[in-house]
Amino acid sequence: MTTAPVTAAAPRAALGARLGGGVWLFLGPAIVLMAAAYLAPLFDTAVISFHPNTPSGIDRGHWILGNYARLIDDYYWSVLVRTLRVSVIITLFSVALAYPVAVWLAGLGPRGQTWAILVYMSPWFVNTVVKSFGWTLILGNNGLINNGLRSLGLIDAPVRLMLNETGIVIGLLPGHFLFVLLPLWAALKGLDGNLRWAAMTLGARPRQVFLRVTVPLTLPALLAGAIINFTMNMAAFAAPALLGGTRTRVLSFIAYQVNLEELNWPFGGALAVALLVVTLGFVMAAQAAARTR
Amino acid sequence: MRRLLTGFNLLMIAYVVAPIVLVVWMSFTPSMRFEVPLGAFSLRWYRELFSYDAFIDSAILSLRLGLVAALVATAVGFLAAYGVVRGRPPGSGALVALFTAPLIVPAVVYGIAVLQFTNLVGLYGSFTALLLAHVVIVLPFAMRTLQATLEGHGPELEWAAMSLGARRRHAVLLVTVPLCLRGMVSAFLFCFLISFSEVTVTLFMTGPAHQTLPVRIFNYVSDRIDPTMAAVSSLIVLVSVALVLVLNRLGALGNLRK
Repeated sequence: MTTAPVTAAAPRAALGARLGGGVWLFLGPAIVLMAAAYLAPLFDTAVISFHPNTPSGIDRGHWILGNYARLIDDYYWSVLVRTLRVSVIITLFSVALAYPVAVWLAGLGPRGQTWAILVYMSPWFVNTVVKSFGWTLILGNNGLINNGLRSLGLIDAPVRLMLNETGIVIGLLPGHFLFVLLPLWAALKGLDGNLRWAAMTLGARPRQVFLRVTVPLTLPALLAGAIINFTMNMAAFAAPALLGGTRTRVLSFIAYQVNLEELNWPFGGALAVALLVVTLGFVMAAQAAARTR
Repeated sequence: MRRLLTGFNLLMIAYVVAPIVLVVWMSFTPSMRFEVPLGAFSLRWYRELFSYDAFIDSAILSLRLGLVAALVATAVGFLAAYGVVRGRPPGSGALVALFTAPLIVPAVVYGIAVLQFTNLVGLYGSFTALLLAHVVIVLPFAMRTLQATLEGHGPELEWAAMSLGARRRHAVLLVTVPLCLRGMVSAFLFCFLISFSEVTVTLFMTGPAHQTLPVRIFNYVSDRIDPTMAAVSSLIVLVSVALVLVLNRLGALGNLRK
């Protein structure tokens, strides 16, 4: 989408009036905005994370690594492990569910595809807080599922479906599933139909065609989507906070408490930097995976 | 096989839309408790909404913030996209990466950074800080949309205008902007949608003075379940769905899928 116009525009640019140095007048506002309101805060937080926190405030005179060492304390380590576990489970579910959905989508007519994609996108554009509220109506002790099971006489005590890791997985999956589905769907649509046809004329059964032609060819897209999905799971805040409750804390919720309740900004900054480094690492891996396509 | 897939997808769609449907459903239930077999239909909770001053204030704040942030981001984003697409200055790849970085950097990280930084520079809890953060968050969506728009409209008409004696700024204002109007409207609506739904950064950076609608609901839902909340939430869903349908009509959602 971006490559074709670039090559086409290059010779034309030489013909027309050049923008020259004036280009910086156009780029200026965005650069100033991002430098002042984006890079500066991130940089400041990174700096703060290397300073000690004292009762009288941040001691900017001393440089320490202690805030990072605290990340591997038993408590924070267990939170990190829980966050990783929940994130991996969501990613595995997303990957498992993505093929049946993408294959079905690719088989619909153009109009059907547009509408089905919009429906699958709805968890992305509907506010997280609203969705989480909806999940509490379904999963809570007096929610749809527990009330239904109770009125059928199947259970006496409510089944715990939220305020635990199950709730986080159920609530986050629909919104983040999309980021595996969309690249996979695009890859499936871009697949040369002749390849599958060729495999079939050579005697492959539909199952074999899927496993030995379709899956290998769409694997890079799936992998790239899975990594994006994973980083989003790691960093999600509102849904885990509402559906995990105070007992099932994930990394981002701890970051909220440390920064807004304990007001320990150096340690809160270290949490932010750690989250950023992990996320960027995975995103770069995803981009490398996408390039090999 | 196809039938099996369709069945699976219907279940999957039910799962995906279930919480949204439930919220809307609950907002029309007359009783205080949410009951499964829906007997009657009531607009009681929508009427009650208007007695919650806090929600009215939050709604006004969210609208004001979303409109101004979308306006600023569309303007700044248009200029930047124009510079990148028409100028191709050295390092434009890195610049685009910078302008779209908020898509990749987790909102929690930026929320923490903005909280700490606004305190440092004395802007904590101000509308200015909130506005700037929202412009940063929505800028990637303006950039993506407007880059695609500008690539779709070649520079030939601008050159024609300039060869007839127009200055660059007149050519951009009188030729390019009208040509790109559809893309600008898409960018504006997209930015508004994102700002209107933003929770995480806003929750981290705002004091009690500036609670946007989603933040107000977040703080409220943590303590109790109340059908009024369902009414507010349904209105938010209505706004989001309407915006997405318009964006889909304008063909702007494709830019999201890269």
